Amino acid sequence: MTGHDVVFLLVALTTAGAGIMTVTSKNLVHAALFLALTLTGSAAVFLVLAADFVALAQLLVNVGAVAVLFLFGLMLTRAPIGREALDGQHRGLAIGVSGGLFVLLSVLIIGAFGGEGVREVTGPGVNEIGIALFAQWVLPFEVLSMLLLAALIGAIVLARRSPGESGTEAEPTHIELSGDPSTEAERRPELTAGGER
Amino acid sequence: MNVELTASLSPAVFVPAPSAFDLDVAFGITVAIKVAFILALFLVVPLVVGYMEHKAMGRLQHRRGPVAAGPFGTLQLVADGIKFIQKEDVIPAAADRKVFALAPGLALVPAILVFLVLPFGPGVWAVDLELGLFYALAISSVSVLGVMMGGWASANKFSLIGGLRAGAQLIAYELPLILAAIAVAVQAGTLSLVGIVEAQATFTLPGTDLNLWFVFPQILGFVIFFLASLAELSRPPFDMPIADSELVFGYMTEYTGIKFAMYLLTEYAGMVSMSALMVVLYLGGWQLLPGVGLPGCEGAGGMFDCGWLGAIGGVVITLAKILILTFIMVWARVAYPRLREDQLQRLSWLVLVPLSLINLAVIAIAKVVVF
Amino acid sequence: MAATSPPGVGLLKGLGVTIKHLFKRPSTQMYPNERPDLPPRTRGVIALLEENCTVCMLCARECPDWCIYIDSHKETVPPAKEGGRARTRNMLDRFAIDFSLCMYCGICVEVCPFDALWWSPEFEYAEYDMDKLLHEKEKLREWADTVPPPPPLDEGALPVPEVAAAIDKVVKERELEEAKAEQAARDAELAQAAPAAAPAAAAAKAEEIHVEAGQIDQETFDALIAQGKSERMARAKAKAAYVKKEKARILAEQEAAAAAAPAAPKAEEIHVEAGQIDQETFDALIAEGKSERMARAKAKAAWVKKEKARIRAEQEAAAPAAEVAPAEVAPAEAAAVEAPPAAPAAEAAPARKLSDVHVEGSGEIDQETFDALIAEGKSERIARAKAKAAWIKKRKQEQLDAEGDA
Repeated sequence: MTGHDVVFLLVALTTAGAGIMTVTSKNLVHAALFLALTLTGSAAVFLVLAADFVALAQLLVNVGAVAVLFLFGLMLTRAPIGREALDGQHRGLAIGVSGGLFVLLSVLIIGAFGGEGVREVTGPGVNEIGIALFAQWVLPFEVLSMLLLAALIGAIVLARRSPGESGTEAEPTHIELSGDPSTEAERRPELTAGGER
Repeated sequence: MNVELTASLSPAVFVPAPSAFDLDVAFGITVAIKVAFILALFLVVPLVVGYMEHKAMGRLQHRRGPVAAGPFGTLQLVADGIKFIQKEDVIPAAADRKVFALAPGLALVPAILVFLVLPFGPGVWAVDLELGLFYALAISSVSVLGVMMGGWASANKFSLIGGLRAGAQLIAYELPLILAAIAVAVQAGTLSLVGIVEAQATFTLPGTDLNLWFVFPQILGFVIFFLASLAELSRPPFDMPIADSELVFGYMTEYTGIKFAMYLLTEYAGMVSMSALMVVLYLGGWQLLPGVGLPGCEGAGGMFDCGWLGAIGGVVITLAKILILTFIMVWARVAYPRLREDQLQRLSWLVLVPLSLINLAVIAIAKVVVF
Repeated sequence: MAATSPPGVGLLKGLGVTIKHLFKRPSTQMYPNERPDLPPRTRGVIALLEENCTVCMLCARECPDWCIYIDSHKETVPPAKEGGRARTRNMLDRFAIDFSLCMYCGICVEVCPFDALWWSPEFEYAEYDMDKLLHEKEKLREWADTVPPPPPLDEGALPVPEVAAAIDKVVKERELEEAKAEQAARDAELAQAAPAAAPAAAAAKAEEIHVEAGQIDQETFDALIAQGKSERMARAKAKAAYVKKEKARILAEQEAAAAAAPAAPKAEEIHVEAGQIDQETFDALIAEGKSERMARAKAKAAWVKKEKARIRAEQEAAAPAAEVAPAEVAPAEAAAVEAPPAAPAAEAAPARKLSDVHVEGSGEIDQETFDALIAEGKSERIARAKAKAAWIKKRKQEQLDAEGDA
């Protein structure tokens, strides 16, 4: 057993354990935190497999953004401060789906790579990834980036929603003591298109 | 963790693929020295920056700052550290004890890990990753998890709101930060931080021999990066997650003693690492002035393959630049009042994100057409 | 930011304002190492000028915290005249302020009709025990000596009516004195040939005689009371009368002495100007590690002491030869007169209230008192405060005497 195997084993066990904790945890926030650990673990698995770029992308996107967004959403909506027990009602269904998925993936992977022996790998450099992305896979990449750009522009448009549209617009407070404009909207007319949201 | 990460990340390790058990002694010693170096930097430089902040804030506010502990108050932060260690470790009764205890550490570890890739001088870096910039940004984005965990686990509404604000702020400002950094990577043609320094040392204004740092063509990107990193670090005027006049002390409200000190250390280490990133990305790394090489250096632009003299000079120049940038952060803290939460989000989504997209587009086009 | 200025200008202005302070001298006062520079109206502690207190109880009643404790008893003043009515006076037994209750609102100071309560900037009276914050009148009286003179009025402000009246008075008196002096000069010219050198010298000295107004002239007092004047007024005038009489008496004695013994004038010189220092004492103190200032003050005191002893010895040697009794009376008298009048002088204050006689004391101190107190081992701060008070009191006393003479 090489050092790589040991590291891989540790990382894989941690990741799997965190995954199990994610679904069995009674506390919603704990579950989200275990999810973050699971995602970090999968990033570490990529690292062991010499896929630095994917590992870091995993860390940046899934841990740094998705998990944070998860936690954010949880805290904003349910805010289960302290020890609150939560449980889903679809335990059987969940077990069925995840078990089926596990079997399916196992069969597929073993069928595809089962005959190959273990070998040392060196990760592809960033240059290769970039060239592959922009030469061979340029169409999916562009489609994805259009999607993301649309989402980004959508976010900006949502942020610039004009007053009155959202229905949550409060009357700006007017303090008329002097000639100086007292509200943001008056002070910066170029922003009047944007609302308070 | 450090050793493993260094070992598995460094491309040099992968080629002979040594086992974790049969690492040769020389390699082990090298790694140990590097780890010690990183830890020393991590512990000392934030202290110096913290002292500078105390003093600079004092003088900017017509005060003196610390004067009692040590000559000119230089040992103030050491005294603070001793005090923090002595404090009782209070955990609120309703708190989630494990998460509460884990959170400051989770915030601190990424702050240490970022130091791994920062180049401080010619040859003075722990690892020169091919993905250095990407690594630094990815790792530093994890810190906020610790902040949110601390905010939630404290079982305190102020803490929770502080943690929420930290999350919202991070998501909002990560985008302009990364977009601005991508523009630098595009211009340099590499993600390696050392490579970016080298690219700046050899970058000349098209059509002339004039050596320029990236801050000159990308002044817009620099401003965006600076503002976004201020927000990422929750530094005033973007300190809504802490907001002592509204949220008591935000996510740190319930923390005492050494855990509180860990959060503080995270903040100061973050200031140092973000400033170091700015120095590397925009301010020419350890180059004294554009076009001026270090003594005894032969590599690109007189910046690499240096002797001891050059290495020390390079480190001094980098640290001086870091100190200047952190001073500007402190200056902004003193000069500006805190933004409102909606103003903060608006600044990011409506100003910085569009500007950084424009910046990226302009730089990408210029890279193909002009440079 | 004005609506017209382009965005960003305000941001730069903010940076400019703060960076300017970086290059200015910080305004920090290094308190434990240096004394803070406190404004005259600092609300440090409430001081009691016991002499002014009439036990009217207004302060105790107005105090929102009920933290002022006053005990008093009535004393019967015998009738001023045969068959007159005996009067009662309130005598202050206890005046204490509990600073653990006090909230420093200053209502007691505001409400005191006799200027007995004052704000003092003294603030270092923290204690480890709450009970120790109850301060009795002795302590409060000590603080009264640290009360700084009131700050000068603003440029162009109307003078306080009382002060304006006092100034008027002084101006008139001066004119009168000048007229007198002119008259005297003319007289002197006429009498130039007269061989009155020695008595004249003695007389000139007599003018400088300073008499403590510690007692009242009972005769005058009774007369005035009989006339129906208020007790307060009577007391004041009686005091002035006493001073006058006393001066006259001393003058007479001196003239007698001058006529009898040529040594007498020299005896009066027993007041020694503290212009020099005793080098020995000074060196010894410096060697002990005292500050130079402290050492200098003590050395001065030592020098004065020695000098006085020396002169006295000389006089004693001279006296038997002259065999004149008044010569010994005079030095004693003189010594009493010249003694640091810090405490006795204060007794004169209630006769004419502080606000009646206004003396501008802008930091001058009575060096003698200062040196004497330092020599007694008081702290420099207390000594300075008392010396200041002594200086002001002396000036006031002079003014009072002048009025009395007039």
